[in-house]
Amino acid sequence: MVGRNSDIKLAISHLSGNLVICKVRGKVASERPLMSSAYGALLEEMMRKIARAALAAAMVLTAAPLAGLAPAAAQQSIKFGALYPFSGGLALLGDESFRGLEIAVEERNAAGGINGKTITLIKGDAVDPNQAVGEARRLTSVDNVSAIFGTYSSSLSLAATQVAELAGVPYFELGAVSDPITERGFKNVFRSNATAKDFSVRMVDSVSDAIAPALGKKPEELKIGIIYEDSLYGQTMSGYQKSRAAEKKLNVVEALAYSAKSVDLTPVILRLKSAGVDVVLQTSYQNDTVLFFRQMKDQGFKPKAVIGAGGGYSLRDTVAAVGAENMEGALDVDFTQYRTNPKAAPGIEQFVTKYKAKYGTDPRSGHSLANYMGAKVFFDAIAASKDLTADNIRAQVMKVDLPVGSTATGWGAKFSEQGQNTRALPFLMQWQGGELVTVFPEDAAVAKMKVGVGTN
Amino acid sequence: MDVFIQLLINGILLGSMYAIISVGLTLIFGIVRVVNFAHGEFLMVGMYGAYLLAAKFGLHPYVSAIPIVLLLFAFGALVQRFIIQPLLSAEEHIQIFATVGLSTALMNLALMIFGADLYSVPPSAVQHSINIGGFTLVIGQIVMFVCALALVAGLHLFMQSTPLGRAIRATAQNRNAALLMGVRVDRIYVIAFGLGAACVGLASALVMPLYPVTPTIGTYFVLTAFVVVVLGGMRSMYGAFFGAMIIGIVDSLSGYYIAPDLKEVVYFVIFILILIFKPTGLFGLGRGTE
Repeated sequence: MVGRNSDIKLAISHLSGNLVICKVRGKVASERPLMSSAYGALLEEMMRKIARAALAAAMVLTAAPLAGLAPAAAQQSIKFGALYPFSGGLALLGDESFRGLEIAVEERNAAGGINGKTITLIKGDAVDPNQAVGEARRLTSVDNVSAIFGTYSSSLSLAATQVAELAGVPYFELGAVSDPITERGFKNVFRSNATAKDFSVRMVDSVSDAIAPALGKKPEELKIGIIYEDSLYGQTMSGYQKSRAAEKKLNVVEALAYSAKSVDLTPVILRLKSAGVDVVLQTSYQNDTVLFFRQMKDQGFKPKAVIGAGGGYSLRDTVAAVGAENMEGALDVDFTQYRTNPKAAPGIEQFVTKYKAKYGTDPRSGHSLANYMGAKVFFDAIAASKDLTADNIRAQVMKVDLPVGSTATGWGAKFSEQGQNTRALPFLMQWQGGELVTVFPEDAAVAKMKVGVGTN
Repeated sequence: MDVFIQLLINGILLGSMYAIISVGLTLIFGIVRVVNFAHGEFLMVGMYGAYLLAAKFGLHPYVSAIPIVLLLFAFGALVQRFIIQPLLSAEEHIQIFATVGLSTALMNLALMIFGADLYSVPPSAVQHSINIGGFTLVIGQIVMFVCALALVAGLHLFMQSTPLGRAIRATAQNRNAALLMGVRVDRIYVIAFGLGAACVGLASALVMPLYPVTPTIGTYFVLTAFVVVVLGGMRSMYGAFFGAMIIGIVDSLSGYYIAPDLKEVVYFVIFILILIFKPTGLFGLGRGTE
């Protein structure tokens, strides 16, 4: 047994090309008498073969991408990294986000690419922040991409942008919402989409701009309850909501955190009910959204409006679990969805047509549209730049000036010094008859906002 | 006052859900002496079962309770026979690793088969609430309360008045003595584990109309179930029942009067205090009842 173990050790050190080989071999020789030497030699030979095979395989694997790149480089092409979670738990919406970028690239290439150069996308699979860093390093140093597009998830983006910034490669964020991504003073990180703060501001502003007029009341008369799940997401969003509500002098009577894993939200609901809350602002995931709506009905709590932000509120599953009639009238602030007035979002219909032609289904969420919009804006900026150096691209991004209502998401584009798009305002949507329709602002609306929630 | 009574009602009804989930855990812990960390995933398996029966055959979860209880009995018995039994004489932490491993494996299996989406059964009357004297009670929760009482009473009768029940009690009290008296201890363990799993199968059929199922749904309940079991004195079914009621009421009241995100703090403080001052639990029989 001892001899066999040593052989395996030997094989392992072979594989890792370690200098320890001689030492282990010496030990093996001394231990050899413990077992039949013929058997030992055979095993050693086998291990050596395996090691050789593994080495050969490794060489082929590392050589393959290089070989693949050669012809692409020969044509006039421009390489961009596409950094998204393509596998793991975030893969569904990561892939959905990538599709938006992919359609934007195809569209651009069909129209002649960027100044005559075809765009080639090189995928990087960022499953978690560690891998996001690793893949960003690969894209910037091995593949030498001219820019990276990504990322869907905020934690992945926060990690990967640091690598790109150090490497001096422009990083275009098209979907992650965490504010700090564009608050760290980075020169080469730009974001086209709305942030968590924009979402929160829109939620609070909806109370004074949309709900109060619909109820025929003054905004200060409405009692607001802010409830949120107690992880970083809920804490961040509710923090912005509270400060915005204070700014607008609105009357927040309850602000309650709860665990998203809670199996009973009746205490929360009874608190809101006792306080006579008219409008609920909720920041939640999916399970707690379902529970809240079910138990709100059970406990006979009848607010005049409930506003959520993305997450659980936009998903069809949530409505199926709650029951369409119980979720009727629930308001939702999120990335632009597809039931939006095309006059306020020019190009949204063409996008859906292209999406269906390419993937054979309707878009699975608004993420693809948001990525499509951002990619188009940034491609134009890159095309306007005289070369692909980060400084010149930055100069062109800073010159972008698109009014609100001129892109497929209905957003405008004007970037702050920090690289944040200041004209990406999310819309207010509402569940009506089992469909999520845009109801505010008016020029983007396809339906009139209703008051009341559920069958109450 | 009205709110207080409503909170109390909600707490008791919530407690009956914790009770019905915890009884099975107590059985397994009390008899087989294995801490089953996969208990929540047993619940998840049962809930997916109820969902499938509703989706494919249109069965109401209450009807599918029967096949699911049988299915989970078999599942529990198999787990005991092929995973726990070979490890019974191993050290305790090995068994814990085995059940934790089983828990992770089941969760990921569900993720592979069903994905992370949530599934729910079609709405039915049990999701509605009734109004008694100005207080609302959800019908599904009342059913749960009645079933929890019936389950504890039924298990009590079974343990006290059948030969098998006596053999189970004997095994729980002293494995070696029971073995000497001719009780086939291994078989008793298989049955007891199956029974525990069957209890959680009943729970899953009752929970299904009220909560949508996801691969991680078990983790929402299982931590509370452990608190309930310890609070109740580890091996006492009645203890588990009353422990669950206490946790339910504490949960409801502290969520309202203190803060919803602090209710876990409150009942874990109670939990720690009990461990310090009465480590055998509220209904435990005292030290040395091994």
